[in-house]
Amino acid sequence: MSTTIEVPPVSPPAVPRGRRRNRPSGLLLYLLVRALLIIPTVFILVTLVFFLMRSTGDPITAALGGRLPADQLQERIREAGYDRPLLVQYVDYLGQIARGDFGRSLSDGRSIGEIVVTFGGATLELAVYALLVAFVVGVPLGMLAAKLRDRWPDATLRVLAILAYATPVFFAGLLLKLVFSVWLNVLPVAGRASTRVQIQFDSMPNPTGIYLIDAIRLGDGNAIGDVLWHAILPGLALGLLTAGIFLRLVRTNMIDTLGRDYIDAARSRGVGEFRLTRTHAWRPALIPIITVIGLQIALLLGGAVLTETTFEWRGLGFQIAQYLQARDFVAVQGMVVVLAIIVAVTNFVVDVIAALIDPRVRY
Amino acid sequence: MSAADPLAPPRVRGWKRLPVVRQLRQSVGLQRGMLVTGLVITGLFLLTALLAPFLAPYGYAQLQGADGRNFGAQVPPSAAHPLGTTVGGFDVLSRVIWGAQTALGAIVVAVLLSIVVGVLLGLVSGYFGGWLDRILVVVADAIYAFPTLLLAIVAAIVISGGQSSLGGGILAAAISITVVFIPQYLRVVRSEVVRVKSEAFVESARVIGSSSVRIMVRHVLRNSIRTLPLIITLNASEAILTLAGLGFLGFGIQPTKAAEWGYDLNKSVSDVAAGIWWTSVFPGVAIVLVVLGVTLVGESLNDLSDPRLRSRRRARRAAPAVATEPAP
Amino acid sequence: MASAFGSARSRRLGVAVGIAAASALVLAGCAGGGTSGSGGGSSLIVGTTDKVTFLDPAGSYDNGSFAVMNQVFPFLMNSKVGSGTVEPDIASSAKFTSDTEYTVTLKPGLTFANGNKLTSSDVKFTFERQLKINDPNGPASLLGNLDSVDAPDARTVVFRLKKGGDQTFPQVLSSPAGPIVDEQVFSADKITQDAAIVKGKAFAGPFSIGSYKKNNLVTLSAFSGYDGLLGKPKTGDITLKYFTSSSNLKLEVQGGGIDVAYRSLTPTDIADLKTKKSVKVVDGPGGEIRYIVFNFDTQPYGAKTEGADPAKALAVRQAVADLVDRAAIAKQVYKNTYTPLYSYVPQGVRGATEVLKSEYGDGSGGPSLDKAKAVLQAAGVSTPVTLKLQYNPDHYGEGSADEYALVKSQLEDGGLFAVDLASTEWVQYSKDRVKDVYPAYQLGWFPDYSDADNYLTPFFAEGNFLGNRYSDPVVTQLIQQQQVEGDPAKRQQDIEDIQAAVAKQLSTVPLLQGAQVAVVGKDVSGMTLDPSFKLRLTSLSK
Repeated sequence: MSTTIEVPPVSPPAVPRGRRRNRPSGLLLYLLVRALLIIPTVFILVTLVFFLMRSTGDPITAALGGRLPADQLQERIREAGYDRPLLVQYVDYLGQIARGDFGRSLSDGRSIGEIVVTFGGATLELAVYALLVAFVVGVPLGMLAAKLRDRWPDATLRVLAILAYATPVFFAGLLLKLVFSVWLNVLPVAGRASTRVQIQFDSMPNPTGIYLIDAIRLGDGNAIGDVLWHAILPGLALGLLTAGIFLRLVRTNMIDTLGRDYIDAARSRGVGEFRLTRTHAWRPALIPIITVIGLQIALLLGGAVLTETTFEWRGLGFQIAQYLQARDFVAVQGMVVVLAIIVAVTNFVVDVIAALIDPRVRY
Repeated sequence: MSAADPLAPPRVRGWKRLPVVRQLRQSVGLQRGMLVTGLVITGLFLLTALLAPFLAPYGYAQLQGADGRNFGAQVPPSAAHPLGTTVGGFDVLSRVIWGAQTALGAIVVAVLLSIVVGVLLGLVSGYFGGWLDRILVVVADAIYAFPTLLLAIVAAIVISGGQSSLGGGILAAAISITVVFIPQYLRVVRSEVVRVKSEAFVESARVIGSSSVRIMVRHVLRNSIRTLPLIITLNASEAILTLAGLGFLGFGIQPTKAAEWGYDLNKSVSDVAAGIWWTSVFPGVAIVLVVLGVTLVGESLNDLSDPRLRSRRRARRAAPAVATEPAP
Repeated sequence: MASAFGSARSRRLGVAVGIAAASALVLAGCAGGGTSGSGGGSSLIVGTTDKVTFLDPAGSYDNGSFAVMNQVFPFLMNSKVGSGTVEPDIASSAKFTSDTEYTVTLKPGLTFANGNKLTSSDVKFTFERQLKINDPNGPASLLGNLDSVDAPDARTVVFRLKKGGDQTFPQVLSSPAGPIVDEQVFSADKITQDAAIVKGKAFAGPFSIGSYKKNNLVTLSAFSGYDGLLGKPKTGDITLKYFTSSSNLKLEVQGGGIDVAYRSLTPTDIADLKTKKSVKVVDGPGGEIRYIVFNFDTQPYGAKTEGADPAKALAVRQAVADLVDRAAIAKQVYKNTYTPLYSYVPQGVRGATEVLKSEYGDGSGGPSLDKAKAVLQAAGVSTPVTLKLQYNPDHYGEGSADEYALVKSQLEDGGLFAVDLASTEWVQYSKDRVKDVYPAYQLGWFPDYSDADNYLTPFFAEGNFLGNRYSDPVVTQLIQQQQVEGDPAKRQQDIEDIQAAVAKQLSTVPLLQGAQVAVVGKDVSGMTLDPSFKLRLTSLSK
């Protein structure tokens, strides 16, 4: 859904850019500053989420208003401390988060930590499938498009990439369901495994929640096949969408690097075009892709609400949608905050990797 | 296009220097083909939206024809209903056409809001610099990672108080999109301001006491106009996709208030499972087409504004396809 | 009994009818024994889009939770598969021993799956904690007439009622307020979490829960210690699979991934499944109703509006009743999974009439523009009447939006009304409607038990859950009278009189009545949809 084609900023421009020498201390300083920047980022997101959710009123009224007599409602609001000034609640909430306590869902009493652990595996699994597809499809095609730039295969690929972006995942889901489940009746479009396999997973000790791993641990070929079978359509739908973004990025960066001096130099040394593409231009083109993967994880998590709802993939996004429906704003707020932290940390890791691969990345 | 910013002072050859027009003239070959395709689709979309009352055979909430009889639900495409009818008995073609109006509404509101706030903040941030600037930039970066759709859902709940009205639906999509896009406008405008601020003529203006702000605004805006159209197209596509996403999740606009593609897709989920394809395919294709058109324009503009990506008029390495210029 | 109803009733109505509603699907019943032996290796998968809120009977009051409770908790009163008439379940006898005393004797030697004995002390605990916890999401309001519970010996329970001769009390014991729980596992004053219940194996119904993944997968296995009315399950292992989308539920049952689809398929799903050879569509009597409520204060010419005029207000309501074409809505929006409803008590429940059929419209169920025109003219109402009509898109099923678009179209067709149709999501909706925000609005109802009183007291008695400022002394008196009337014939007459009286005043305009529908694989038998409106799993086999 919220996949932006524009190449995102690589790292926050607020990072001091004074030192440009490739000294270890420079790298360390960069990492340190970059790590410290996680804090304000998370802080801002928490603040945003808190006031946004609270602008709908207090969570108790949202969840129970109209069902409870006014006095009981007030009693509960008071018990939960929602009758205090908003700022006091906010400071309180920050403290809570600092202690690693993200709250407890109103509707089913589970702690946010427990919810994230329970459903995180599914989201992670889908994200990995999607990234895999995106890599396998997007990167080679992007290189191809760059090689053949301005010829018709390039134009075709680019239009396809834009189509992938322009198709909302729920519409893609509907089309896939129509073609593969209704007309051809060959692939499942919902769920992560068939019921019988799922029961197997439920009864195994210490399931990881990542079904493929669980299936492999079971050593059951059927289960592995079943899990992969169920992953095809969701993985493809989400993967192709991401592949469109990868394709565009790889193309742009390849064109850029192919035009650089050192490539020209290599070319003049007689290095073949194929090897040129594969060895020389590939590495610099990789960095923006890594950066985008980082952002993509953020978007996968954000867009997970739609993707997981469409495919009934019981991960974090699916769960957020359920809590939204129940107007359980404590749970929604807690989960969004956790996601924000995950996103911030992922972006940090991505920046670090980018910096390690290419020392020229600004720091 | 909204890209024709009135603030751009028409210079030498007037309209030919306007964004989009200039790039169109500058483009060649396939690149021009993509830009033209995008412009045609976008133009058709605009026309459909503006002329919906004349184009649509029926009203978006109409359930019965002139003979007073109901259209019937899930009627397959026929002469009376070229695209069939929905589960609720609405004419699909009419709702697809009217839906363009709703989508355009969301785009206009989202783009206007984002531009106004984003540009203002960008000017302020760049001009004053210092701590304010840093805070704004960090905030902008943090918001960049925020999931749009969640924001939109919460905005929908807050704005409409649970009522699914036309204004509420559009505003919810627009506001959430605005929040996410402000940072992008801010970034572009801010960096221009920072650049222009240090230039000599601004310094001298300041020295002689004339309003440096006015000069700066003029220059910054003129320079940013190169990049803004790209962001605007992205902004527009995101607005449509978010509106549709809201509608699909059930936070949309109810059917007697307006036609909305995401809402119709939501209602078509059962149809799909029963093999009834016409209720989902057409509104879905409408979304895809509009986003495709707008994005093609944006992509082409981006290519053309970047010298490295621009197709060379006379290809250095022979690229046969480029040599033949298709008629625009 | 009545006053405590308000909040919880409306909730139940929300969640229960809501999730269920428009999609209208319940159990399906095909009679006959299965091929599999009892409890053997055979297993079945039942899919649903309903949700469990809490397993604890004190904490939930909705179809999804109740469907599971019916399998794992025993009741004092229950009905046989195929019937809606209550009789003792794990009790050997149950009867009024005085006007205000209802005495139940338990069968001997009852236990829970964890080995704990099930005695009168557990029963006393069950009902006392319901009253004590009185959770807003729970069914405690159903026990409004219960004063106290005594357990004179291990097998005897005496319920002391506030109001004597309550004809509905045996039904209440079979309702969501009635599942018997283990006092050694459940908390006396708090909702007990699902995990604790499953871990403590506090089950004594026909099944106990094996593995429990809330609203995802729940496995049930036959509990041999159950000695009650429902009998030994024909299939030993049943898995409940939870879906969020009815179209996925539909595709799964169609493809054989699950054996039974129970609530809620959309009318489109059902119509399509009827054409498929791999499945059977089963239906049964439905107790669910859909109707328009008028707020007597804020409707056009209502008591709190400018130019208030009771006669004109009545004329407006009558004109609406004249204009709605129920058959058209049932056919176009619901593909006849709903049928027209011409009274307050739906067909199939004892005491039902069709009083609105002759009273309004063309006299045979269809709409009449002329009649509506005449009634508005006679009252001096200037047309078109502007009517603000509100509906809810997310709790009464997917059809609501289409249903009300059609109602709007029908009302406006002759130019008598200008309808301002708006929708509000459920949470806000349930707050607003009791605050007189909506002059006319949609509601639905799913009964707690199969008795006409359940369609009258909650709606038209003093302090009813509608809160629409309607009250009528004659109706109130009749309602109280039928509740304690021991003679069935006299009681039925009272019930019919109430319907006739309300039909003249039109506190609400009834629209549709739902049928229960379920879809089963072609080799599944024993799916039964009966007037108890409960999910029956013991009779299922493959």
